[in-house]
Parts: sequence; C-alpha cells; structure tokens
Amino acid sequence: MNAPARTTLTPDFYVTVGIKVNGQLHTLSIDPRTSLLDALREQLHLTGTKKGCDHGQCGACTVHVNGRRINSCLALAAVHDGDEVTTIEGIGQPDHLHPLQAAFVEHDGFQCGYCTSGQIMSAVALLQEPCGPRDDDVRELMSGNICRCGAYKNIVAAIQQVRQNRRT
Amino acid sequence: MNYVDRANPILGSSVNRIDGPKKVSGRAVYTSDHDFPGLLYAVPVPSTVAGGTITSLDTSAAEAMTGVRAILHHGNIGKLYRVTDPARARVDEKRPPFADDEIRYYGQYVAAVVADTFEQATAAARAVKVTYAARSFNVSPSLESNELRVESQRGDVDGAFSDAPVKLDETYVTPAETHVAMELHATVAVHEGGAFTLYETTQAVVNHQHVAAEMLGEPKENVRVISRFLGSGFGSKLWPWPHCFIAAMAAKQLGRPVKLVLSRKMNFMAAGHRPLTQQRMRLAATTDGKLVSLSQDYLTHTSLLDDYKENCGEATPFMYSTPNLRVRSALVRRNVGTPTSMRGPGAIPGLFALESAMDELAIKLNMDPVQLRLQNEPKVDESTGLPFSSRHLTECLTEGAKRFGWNHRNAGIGAMTRDGMTLGWGVAGCSWIALRFPTEATVELRADGTVRAVCATQDIGTGTYTVIAQLISDVTGLPLDRIEVVLGDTDLPPGPISGGSATTASVINAMRQAVRQAMEAVLTLAAKAPNSPLLHRDPKSLAFVNGAIRAGADDTAPLPFQRVIEMAGGASVSGQGKSEGGFDDPLKKKYSLHSFGAHFAEVTWQPEIARLRVSRIVTVMDGGRVINQKTARNQIEGSLVMGVGMALFEETLYDQRNGAPINSNFADYVVATHADTPQMDVTFLDHPDLVFNEIGARGLGEIGLAGIAAAITGAIHHATGIRIRRLPARIEDLIST
Repeated sequence: MNAPARTTLTPDFYVTVGIKVNGQLHTLSIDPRTSLLDALREQLHLTGTKKGCDHGQCGACTVHVNGRRINSCLALAAVHDGDEVTTIEGIGQPDHLHPLQAAFVEHDGFQCGYCTSGQIMSAVALLQEPCGPRDDDVRELMSGNICRCGAYKNIVAAIQQVRQNRRT
Repeated sequence: MNYVDRANPILGSSVNRIDGPKKVSGRAVYTSDHDFPGLLYAVPVPSTVAGGTITSLDTSAAEAMTGVRAILHHGNIGKLYRVTDPARARVDEKRPPFADDEIRYYGQYVAAVVADTFEQATAAARAVKVTYAARSFNVSPSLESNELRVESQRGDVDGAFSDAPVKLDETYVTPAETHVAMELHATVAVHEGGAFTLYETTQAVVNHQHVAAEMLGEPKENVRVISRFLGSGFGSKLWPWPHCFIAAMAAKQLGRPVKLVLSRKMNFMAAGHRPLTQQRMRLAATTDGKLVSLSQDYLTHTSLLDDYKENCGEATPFMYSTPNLRVRSALVRRNVGTPTSMRGPGAIPGLFALESAMDELAIKLNMDPVQLRLQNEPKVDESTGLPFSSRHLTECLTEGAKRFGWNHRNAGIGAMTRDGMTLGWGVAGCSWIALRFPTEATVELRADGTVRAVCATQDIGTGTYTVIAQLISDVTGLPLDRIEVVLGDTDLPPGPISGGSATTASVINAMRQAVRQAMEAVLTLAAKAPNSPLLHRDPKSLAFVNGAIRAGADDTAPLPFQRVIEMAGGASVSGQGKSEGGFDDPLKKKYSLHSFGAHFAEVTWQPEIARLRVSRIVTVMDGGRVINQKTARNQIEGSLVMGVGMALFEETLYDQRNGAPINSNFADYVVATHADTPQMDVTFLDHPDLVFNEIGARGLGEIGLAGIAAAITGAIHHATGIRIRRLPARIEDLIST
C-alpha cells in the first residue's frame, strides 16, 4: 500500500522530545496533546502497554518512568523529555521471561491478558516499594490495576512467590 | 488403529497456557495493536440527547482542523444494509450507523471524524456542532407492563399459591450492568483490492463476517475478520456494534486503513449492557418445606428499536421440583443503547431472584436453606419431563456445606462474630445451560514433526488455545510444544462463537475427529510411501503412538510420523473434523443439558463503621470433566470476583435529566479490585457428561457468576437482618437500621 506519511501536522505544532525507552533513546516530534501511552503505542509501536480507560483509573497502561510506576495515559509525552521509560517489552521476552512474568504464567495470573502488562509493571515496581509481607499488603498496593477477568488471587500468588524467592 | 493413554494424562492436568509467555511479555497482538502504513484514526461523535431529531450538523469548523481527512455522517457514509438473515448473522443493534436523523438514546453516534492522528481526530470530533430538536425520553429504572407472555407453565400456579400455608411474594431488581472488558472495543479496517480485512474485538469472527458482509453489502468472501487475542468480552463483543461499520466505510471511502477505538465512556453507551430486570417471585410451600407453587413474572428493559430479551426464566423451570410453575415476561422500552448478552445472560439475574426467594422462603419455614434445596431436588427436568444428562446439585450443596463448615452456622441474625466483626453466611444454588455449536476443524501433521490445529473460533481469555492443544496432545501423544493452534480468522474452517460457555464442548469432537483422520492418513501413507520400511503393511495393523508409527506392540524402532511425510515428499498430512450442535441441538430433544453448582459465602460486617466485606467463598461445581484445572479454576474464581462486584458495586446509572449513562468510567462504575478479593475455595466434582461429548466436558465460563450474588445477599441478611432485593447492596441500605 502506497500511503502518505502519518503525520501531516504543521511544523509549529510539533514538540521535540527525547525519551529513553527500554534503554534506547528516541527523538520524537509529537503533537503536544499526545499522551505518553499513545506515543508509546502509536509512534514507537510498543503495543504491549494497553489502553483500558485513558483516565488513570484502570492501570492497564502502567509503565515505569525513572524507575517509578505511573499511568502513562495520564502523562503527556511532551513533559517526559529526558526521562527513562521502561515498558513491558523492556522487562523480558517470551523466551527469556523476568521471574515475575514466569510466575504469572505458572500461577495463571491472567485470563485475557489485556491488563497483564500493567499488572506486571506494577508488580515489578512493587518489588522495590515498601510493601508489607501479607497478601493483603500486596492487594492494597496492586488495587490500582483492575483485572475484569478477576485473576487477582493468582496475580497475588505470583507476586508473593517472587517476593519469597528474593527474601530467601 | 490403537490409541495409547500415557501415564500422565494431559486432559484434566494443570498445564500452563500455551499463549502465556506472549501475554506476559506484551507480545500478544490485540485488535488495536495492529498498525499499517497510512493508518488513519477515527473518533465517533456521540449524541448529547437521549431522544430527538438532528436539526443541523455543522462540520465546517472540524473540517478545517489540521489532519482531518473526512467527517462521516448520515449524509455521506454511503449505503449500509440491514441484516436479513438473523439466524446466521446476529447483531443486537440492528439499525446501521447514521441510518436516519433520529436519536433514540444518549451516546448514539451522529458522526465520526477521521484524521491523521488520534489527537487530531479527538479534537475535531469535539468541534462537530450538532443541534437537536429534543424530544421527551424515558430512562426510568422502574418498569411496568400489562403484557406478560407465558414462557413456561405447568399445573395451577395461582390456585396452589392461594391454598398454600407458607408463601412469599417479593420483587427483586438487578440493575443495568456494563461488561467493562478491560480492552476497549476497536476495529482496524483495511480495504484493499475491493475486499475488507477487519481486525475486530469480537468473540465470534464467523458471525462478525456474516453481519459485516450483509451490512456492507459485500459477498462474504470479500470480508475477512481477524481476532487473534481478545481483551475479554463477557458478551459485549459477541455481536458487532455500529462503530465497526463506521470504521469499515471510512476505510473504503478513504482508501486507507482506519483504526477506531471506542473511549471507555462510549463503551457504556453503544456497545451493549445487561438490561435492568425486575422480577416478582411468588413461592409457596407446605409447612414441611415442599415447594407447591413457583411463579416468576419479570420485566426487562430494552432499547426503542431492538427486542433484546434478558431471559431471566432460563433456569427457573427445572431448578427445583414443584407441580405448579409459571414464568411470564415482558419487554419495556427505554431510551437506552441496545442491551446484549452479559456473562450468563438471563440465568444470572434470574437466579439472583430465585435463589434469594428460596433463602427467604427457608427463613419463613424456619428451615436450613441447604435443606430446603435438598428436599426440593427434582428427579427429572419437570418442565419437559426429560432426564438430566448429568445433574449433581445435591452433591454440590452437601460437599460445599462440608467444606464451608455450614454445620457451625447459628441461624440467628447477627449471632455469629469473629475478631469483633459480625459474620453472615449465605448459600445459593446455580445452573447454566450446556451448549455446543456446529464446528469444523482441520489438523495437519507436518514434516517438521509439529501439529497444527486450526479453527475459526477464538480464545477470549478462557484458555481455548491451550485446551485445543491438550485435546490434540491427548490423541497424538505429542508434547504441547510441538502443537500449534491457530484461531481467530475467518479464513479458517468455521468455528463456534466464544459465548454461552460453549466453546470447549463445541471443539472437542471436531478437533479429535480431525486429528484422528490425519493420523490415519499418515498410517496409510506409511504403507504406501516408496521408501517406507512399512511399505505394503496393512494400515490397520499399524498404530500411532506418541508421535511415531508402530508395526506392533513389540516394535522397538517406531517410525516418527514426520519421517513418513518426508519419505512421501509431502509437507503435511491433514484431517478434517466436524461436530454438531446449536440452539436446536437434537440432543436437547432427549436430555436436559445443564451444569450445576453451589456457593457458600461469608461476609464480615462492622456496623460501627458500616464496613461490609465478602471474606470467604466456597464453591462446588458440577460442570462435567475439567480439561485444564488451572484455566477452569481461574474461570470460576474470576466469576466469583465479578459476583462480588455484582452483589456490592455494579450498576449503570442513567441520568434522569438527560438520559446519559452517567457513571461511564472505572471510578464511578465500580468493579471488584485486588483489595476486594475474598478467600476462595473452588472444587470441581468429577462427573464426566458423556452424553454431551466423548470427553464429558461442559462449559465453565459463566456458571460461576450464577447464584453468587444471592449467596452474598443471603449472608448480608444473616449478618444484618437487612434483605437486599435491589442490587447492588449499598451502604445506605445497610445503615438504615
């Protein structure tokens, strides 16, 4: 298909930002209205990060910015110039999974898989956060990530297994 | 030909999902993840009135905005057709988008902007100026009708009711609910060479193809529908919605691929919901607890143009034994988007009413609610006189009671406490139909030693990819990593919808037939291929064991099947399978086909701070043979979590001032979160339903949500003395004491 280029914005609408995503620097000329989520998905084609509400209410778009988890749908890409972003693609690959990803598979911590990237990104961040040892502590800190399939029990089991392994 | 069961049977095991690594690494490709060169973005413009006529639609300001390529509306979308073959092409909202200037619900699409970027399309959609001649509308949650139609009837229900010594006459209301699958509805439409490829968020690629072909006025072969991964649907993605055809027409008109992703708010407006139900239940019994009369009169809302009916009487006629029974219903029109199937349509609101009424009746009888159910267990389906293919509700109740510790229950209101909190215990039975749909499948044995199984069904998160791989592994003896399963594409042999909890039961026979046929073809080839060591052997004397061909029980050097294909110079050998079914399944003339189960729920209640939690659920399921323990358990536990939401949180509210579904986001439409998850103990009874298919499996996707809300509200009553007859249970209901 021979199609014109995607972006036909007038130059004065562009904002140039440099964002390091999964260790690689990307210089983007973007519409200042673009959310970090849409920049990742529509411009960088890192579609592992999902849109579930666009309102910061569901957690499906969770990524790490400078090591902390955020809802990327609530962040404008333009304000993250110079920041380091980690997405699910930067955590592990199908043949080389992060321990949390492997634990999610083992414990069946998902059904449809749509909220899963966000759950895992939250969980990876949680490993470094001051979270108590109990299942209820994890539930509290994971409650910003909705799973409509309701695989919560298995998600918590996966997280707790990885936390346990790290302690021992 | 012989088949050898291996020492560790793959069926019934707890193997991990074969698509798991893709899903946990962000590599599973969902509809809105698709990208194509020249992709444009479409954003619909929803109406801001619930009834009226469009008097002007001014697109001039929006058209002048940067990046805008087109604005589609009634005047220019082009010809869209109505579906004429609803048996093959089901769509709940039948009116094509932009078909006229009439507005019948808030959020009905009146236009759509197509632009180079999502940001441009979103901004321009807001700049489309629409004026309406508004009309009165009705979104009242209080339903009335004088046109009740009889659905099921036996005996003299009114006479038996009036003569009975113990009676209950109560009305139960379940609100409009929205599915809110995490994945937003989306279409990525490509129109190339005169044909459409539609990447769709659909639970039914084959149905979607038929509907799209009819509505777009295209021959079926010009429409390909693809859904490799679905971010769940719960019914909201069973049938196509208007946005699908807006995207398709935009792609055709502009000659460019178009992506249209609904906002979360739009998901509440024009992508289906479970309608409000209002059910009057009249139960009567003898003083020793024998049901003598059961009447259910229910009303459900629907939209102005479509007759979607929430079939609340689905389980009522066969659930319990009673000589006198009547179910009647009526539809009531409201200015709302067209309702649709939501997980366990009909039976789930219906069983909330029936199981709540049974609980209330037990209290009137001063009888244990488990006992009341046990002693009204029917021997046959009393609505048809047919035997049940397999029914073990009694065992579900007794096993569940044992696991829960029900015998420690003190029936007094607020009589049980723990850690300073009041405990409430409740119980409910549940049921869901056993369905299967016509299915075709192809299985290839390939020269590289792998197997490829294909079918145009789809995995919506229930585990269909994995279950099919297990079925193939079971027959061939090959490990899962040598089995590839391809689904979600209308170019494959036609498969079932992912709905009605029917997919597993539908694919079993077709897949097993197909793989057996392929294996037989390999054996025949082994006896025919010129260089084969088994040349001229009788294929019937050969056996396919663990992926290799054996000439006899003492054959110590079995021939790998791929060697045979290689020797014959082929790439693969294939087999086809086909299984029967449908809503008119001939098996239904001989058997009453259903799954059963029982839930026991515990709530904790802290009246000082009005804090209610569901703390513990014990569920026992009679769903036939379980193929994958992990995915099956996940289905039931996930349903229980959704049931906590149904009982305590979920309700779509329509603003009486303007008709908008007003809580159209995840902050205001509350679903259960991590923190709401109760302790769950799920048991599967092992009673294979061999009448139903050769494995004995029924479906498990919906039944877990049936009855659970009634168990929870029963527990609330036990703790607080307050009977919740209108879901969800609200804090203001509980602090009124």
